[in-house]
Amino acid sequence: MSYFLQLVVSGIVVGSIYALSGLGFVLIYKSSRVLNIAHGQIIATGAFITYALTVWVGIPLYISFFVSMVLTFFLAMSVERIFLRRLIGEPIISVIMVTIGLMSILDGIIYLTPFGGYNYSFPDFFPKTPINMGPVSISWTQMVGVIVTFTLIFLFTWFFKKSTVGISMRAVSDDQLASMSIGISVPHVFGLAWAMAGLSAAAAGGIIGNITGLNFETLHAFGIIVFPVVILGGLDSIIGAVVAGIIMGLIQQFASGYLDGKWGLSGTAEVLPYIILLIILLFKPHGLFGTHEIERV
Amino acid sequence: MSANRWLATGNFFSTYKEEQRIFFTHLDRLLFCVLLAVLFIWPLVYEVSNKYMLVLDNILIAMVAIIGLNLVTGFAGLISIGHAAFVGVGAYTLAVFARTIGDSHVLITHAWPLMLIVSGAVGAMFGAFVGLPALRLKHLYLAIATLSFQMIFQWTINFFPLFNQGQTIPVGRVYWFTGMVSRGDHYLFWYYVALVIVIVFGLAVRNLLRTRYGRSLVAVRDNDRAADAMGMNPGLTKVYAFALAGFFAGVAGALHAYLYRGAGIESFTLAQSISYLAMAIVGGLGTLTGSFFGPAAIRMLDLQVENLVEWLKHFLPAAMNLATAFKPLTFGLVIVLFLMFEPRGIANWWRICRTYVKLWPFRY
Repeated sequence: MSYFLQLVVSGIVVGSIYALSGLGFVLIYKSSRVLNIAHGQIIATGAFITYALTVWVGIPLYISFFVSMVLTFFLAMSVERIFLRRLIGEPIISVIMVTIGLMSILDGIIYLTPFGGYNYSFPDFFPKTPINMGPVSISWTQMVGVIVTFTLIFLFTWFFKKSTVGISMRAVSDDQLASMSIGISVPHVFGLAWAMAGLSAAAAGGIIGNITGLNFETLHAFGIIVFPVVILGGLDSIIGAVVAGIIMGLIQQFASGYLDGKWGLSGTAEVLPYIILLIILLFKPHGLFGTHEIERV
Repeated sequence: MSANRWLATGNFFSTYKEEQRIFFTHLDRLLFCVLLAVLFIWPLVYEVSNKYMLVLDNILIAMVAIIGLNLVTGFAGLISIGHAAFVGVGAYTLAVFARTIGDSHVLITHAWPLMLIVSGAVGAMFGAFVGLPALRLKHLYLAIATLSFQMIFQWTINFFPLFNQGQTIPVGRVYWFTGMVSRGDHYLFWYYVALVIVIVFGLAVRNLLRTRYGRSLVAVRDNDRAADAMGMNPGLTKVYAFALAGFFAGVAGALHAYLYRGAGIESFTLAQSISYLAMAIVGGLGTLTGSFFGPAAIRMLDLQVENLVEWLKHFLPAAMNLATAFKPLTFGLVIVLFLMFEPRGIANWWRICRTYVKLWPFRY
């Protein structure tokens, strides 16, 4: 039983990070209908900036965490301005391929820095002794990570529901033409959506970096595993990203906890999300919470 | 039919049948034959090293795969982020055959054209199976479903002992009428085989595109509901587009396995899938000529970047990561620049050049 609970706890930890990473995808898709494949690279960039500021410059971790969020905010905004702005109105495949191209470019730039080849780990910031809660234990880093994640998700949800800018972003995602006619600058909203996605990506990167250490391959993999999460939740639903993130985290933890080692299986955590994704998509083609598009001839 | 059968200025057609011709003038046909003759004869005249012959073989094999990808993504508009997995299915069909019946069995060494077709058929089966979600899914959801197939394929190959857990499975050398193809002739031999296959498939697809089945692909891309209303069957069309792509990919995979005399997982990863998509984009999506230009351009770029890195190494002794950094960097830049400035790909340049020559000395 305690093994089960432990898996649930670590599943929620992993899942909340997926949710935070997926949030960036959803923000961009919701407003501008772009699937950002380079998101994993932006997460990695955020993590590396946090590390560089903390260790090489010597700023305390909590400040560098925020500074890197600000930097990626502007990085993502300029990416939108330079590359994506020209492609408004192009077919989906062009937009996907441009983000794939961005992914390659960012890959290349990261390989030029020392982070491309070596592993780094953050200096210990929190106490090393784990917190024991009855049968399960959780490390301080994971605990703080989960708290930060949920705070951020809560803030983003609040922002979309209540603030004027958030409401105008929702208006753009609903109908671009109508929102233009009431005076919302659509390109401005696109830029802002990217910037906020960059901000959430840096936060996700900082948390992942603290929990798993900085390895480009690992951070890179986060960008790919987030696809099944956002598709499962429905591409344009924040709550869907959170629910699907936690479902995927739990599935992965259960798979590696119960399936691996039995019948000679191994690495099921990598493949099971995709199998379950395919099965769910057959029954709900727009994910769990995604809006159904009404198509007319 | 215009009065001059060799040169035609402008388009004058009096029947629909005339408009559907592959070669509009005798000159077109002649130039095509000259091009084919040059492609067949030049290796006999001009000798290139094995390294460059391998690059050429790779380009031709990629062309076979891209013709398939262009059918499903360019013409039918179904984004496939798992094309390398289909190529892998073809390669592993051959490799598993070689593993079970022995890699110097007569089926592998003598009946290799049959094995190419068998691999293509297995690829088509997988393609049709993976295409089934297309009945319900659309756009990005479908793209991610094909990505799932890629991930499941990679895991399956890495996991099962039948596939040697991703390690290379050897495939034997083949025989031609003159006996076993020796080490020295290996790359030249597969150049000719791949060239013949590219020509046959290219003509086949060119023909397909002017039939009912080819045009239904384009109709489904442009608006599948409208196509449905006009009496086509969009579901069947989508599945059959995937099956066709799977067939071409399967043949390309089997060629790849024969060329490298083995199949290993590293050639069929997600990165390779993305690279195939890039070739289709750079060549020009939805054009047949693009399927030939794209692979050539991307492979040449890779080669040039390799040379550049080799050259740079003389100046920067400590530059250890240079090759891993430069490849994705240039690759990404090329994709992004093409999409931003020439979204219709190299095929569009080809079209412009052709129009220029055709209308010379007049211009628009």
